[in-house]
Amino acid sequence: MEETINERKANPVLKFFGSVKLAIVLLILLAVFSVAGTMIPQKEGAMEFIQGLNPATFNLLDFFGLFDLYHAGWFRLLIGLLALNLVVCSIERFPSAWRRVKARPSVDRSQPFENLPDTLVISTDSGYEEALRISQNLLKKRFRTLRSERKKDRVFFLAEKGSFSHLGVFLVHLSVLVILIGALAGSFFGFEGFVKIAEGETVDSIMPRSGNQSFSPGFEIRCDKFTVEFYDNGSPREYRSAVTFLVGGKEVEKRDILVNHPVTFNGITFYQSTYEKVAGRGLRIKLSKEGGKEDLKPIDAEIGQQIQLPGKEGFFQVLDIRHMGTAPAALVSVETGKGEPTRFWIFENFELIRSRLPEQMIKSPRFDPSAFKPYTFSLLGVQERYATGLQANQDPGVPIVWAGFILIVLGFIVTFFTSQQFVRVLVEKKNNKTVIMVTGSASRNRPALDRDLQRLVEDIRSLLAA
Amino acid sequence: MTSSGILSYLTFVYFLAFVFYLLMMVMGRQVPGRLATYTLLGSFATHTAAIILRWQESYAAGMGRAPFSNLYESLIFFAWTLSLLYLIVEWRTRNKSAGAFITPLIFLAMAYASFSPNISSKIMPLIPALKSNWLITHVITCFLGYAAFGLSFGFSLMYLFKGGDSGDRTASFLRLIPARGILEELNYQMVVIGFLMLTLGIITGSVWAHSAWGSYWSWDPKETWSLITWFVYAAVIHSRLVRGWKGKKIIILCIVGFACVLFTYFGVNYLAGLHSYATN
Repeated sequence: MEETINERKANPVLKFFGSVKLAIVLLILLAVFSVAGTMIPQKEGAMEFIQGLNPATFNLLDFFGLFDLYHAGWFRLLIGLLALNLVVCSIERFPSAWRRVKARPSVDRSQPFENLPDTLVISTDSGYEEALRISQNLLKKRFRTLRSERKKDRVFFLAEKGSFSHLGVFLVHLSVLVILIGALAGSFFGFEGFVKIAEGETVDSIMPRSGNQSFSPGFEIRCDKFTVEFYDNGSPREYRSAVTFLVGGKEVEKRDILVNHPVTFNGITFYQSTYEKVAGRGLRIKLSKEGGKEDLKPIDAEIGQQIQLPGKEGFFQVLDIRHMGTAPAALVSVETGKGEPTRFWIFENFELIRSRLPEQMIKSPRFDPSAFKPYTFSLLGVQERYATGLQANQDPGVPIVWAGFILIVLGFIVTFFTSQQFVRVLVEKKNNKTVIMVTGSASRNRPALDRDLQRLVEDIRSLLAA
Repeated sequence: MTSSGILSYLTFVYFLAFVFYLLMMVMGRQVPGRLATYTLLGSFATHTAAIILRWQESYAAGMGRAPFSNLYESLIFFAWTLSLLYLIVEWRTRNKSAGAFITPLIFLAMAYASFSPNISSKIMPLIPALKSNWLITHVITCFLGYAAFGLSFGFSLMYLFKGGDSGDRTASFLRLIPARGILEELNYQMVVIGFLMLTLGIITGSVWAHSAWGSYWSWDPKETWSLITWFVYAAVIHSRLVRGWKGKKIIILCIVGFACVLFTYFGVNYLAGLHSYATN
């Protein structure tokens, strides 16, 4: 590694952008600014925090994008610099790593065999040729490459494995880039959206999280049913939305969406996100007539249903049902055929609601249940139903990110848990004896090499004895 | 006895192991060292059994889930991974001195889980977001990572205690601690294991978040803090390549790293976020 850096000393710019020091500084800067992002409330969460700030502080923080720090230009620039650093440093260092992968050290070196401990030397009466054969077979089995050289009465073996270990670090760096590319692809070509669908309703547009222009995904989604189950202690057990996907009004697919079990349709993935209770289409209304002796029977109605008034003065219908604050309310329209229809809202628990409403509202005919004389309308109850809130996302970057994840794990294993091993064996004929010597070197994890060498010596010994 | 009863007693056994390790360091004798290892081994075995028992209890209560789903259970599991990893290191290095630095961490985790008034040891059913096959892999990888970083923290402290190589201080307490070079190597190995596990933890977490929340990364405080921790340990690993950076600077960075681990684990609970079920 040192060599390459020296060779390129001529270019200080490359040297700067490829340096390990820059990498460390960038990593620590990213860490420090990320900390700031967890301390300063971000995005939607920042509203309350912002209200407590004086304008100068707010302007300063806002100028640096600190309320959406992770998407601020300068934060992305830091990530970009880290990526550049990875690329330059990898390009700088790859040639020397490749040379080490391809290195073929000379075989007939006797210096590594000097001063070996006795545990790595075998002296035997067995035949020289047999010792050669045994050593060669064992080395061939255990290593990727084996070279040998014969010099008079001695044979040098050089076995090697794990040269790819030098490339692991490049795999790790590459995978970080792959993950960043995946994230970029997602932010350019993907979207995050949301749909809220009441049971029985069909929706044909998605509201993106950023921006307020909803768009059509080219199909419709109907929520057939939403269920929520609870454990005995009251905590939720399961949220389930049964939905139907339709194209051009035709049912195409029926699926259940649960937390942790999203459903993908036409490239858009739907996640169970929230739910709420909303008013349904049915309600129960009671009419009473001014001065009337007895109450009239309650009427069950649906939105849009025309109902004749008891005194045949005309018809009424319910146009809308919704929750106002927490109270269910219905918009009633009474039509007599003459003039404009009379429209007014009626509430459930009107006496209670009245005490909470502002004066002008109570006086307004739009909130007067007796606006159409001689009747007084009261709302006894509305049907309730659930509306499910589904996150609707499309992210073409996900497979790229997943690939990056797999690569980074492989890269770590290669980088940290493999090493290049060179093992040298010298078989020598000395007088009437045969001497076998074993030694080696490793790019990392020397203790493992020592164990391997010891095992090799023992195996040679036992094979010779057999 | 219930699993949580056994585990609260184990807190004291871990403390006993700590006392033995300390005695070994102070007296420089082998007997307390051996006692310490046996105590720790026994405690670890019981601990393992108690976790399995808790798993069974959840089935008996009709919930049937792995015991990794709230702060209490995670602390118990953290203590377990710390003991496991420490025992492996002690066995591989044949040096017991780190025990005096690691057993207090185990004891603290157990004591916090068992005796903090804010932490409930009740077995609770899983909320929908936690019902996933990723729960077990995510928790195991994260906590093995945390444990490795805990051991790195222990070795870093030992490094600082050991003082310079020059002054030949013969207090037995320091004599049993390996040389600084060996501590650096052990520390590095722990950082590497921790870094790999943390990476796996973040990956499994992302894949899980993708299916639960619809996004593999949402800058939730816990996610962000795990990434901060990742940055710091990535810096540690790279700083070995800078000439003249061996030694104290790296050790201090490791201590900062472990502080980040602790904040990722506990501190984040004071910030709002998606991981809120880990608070109680």
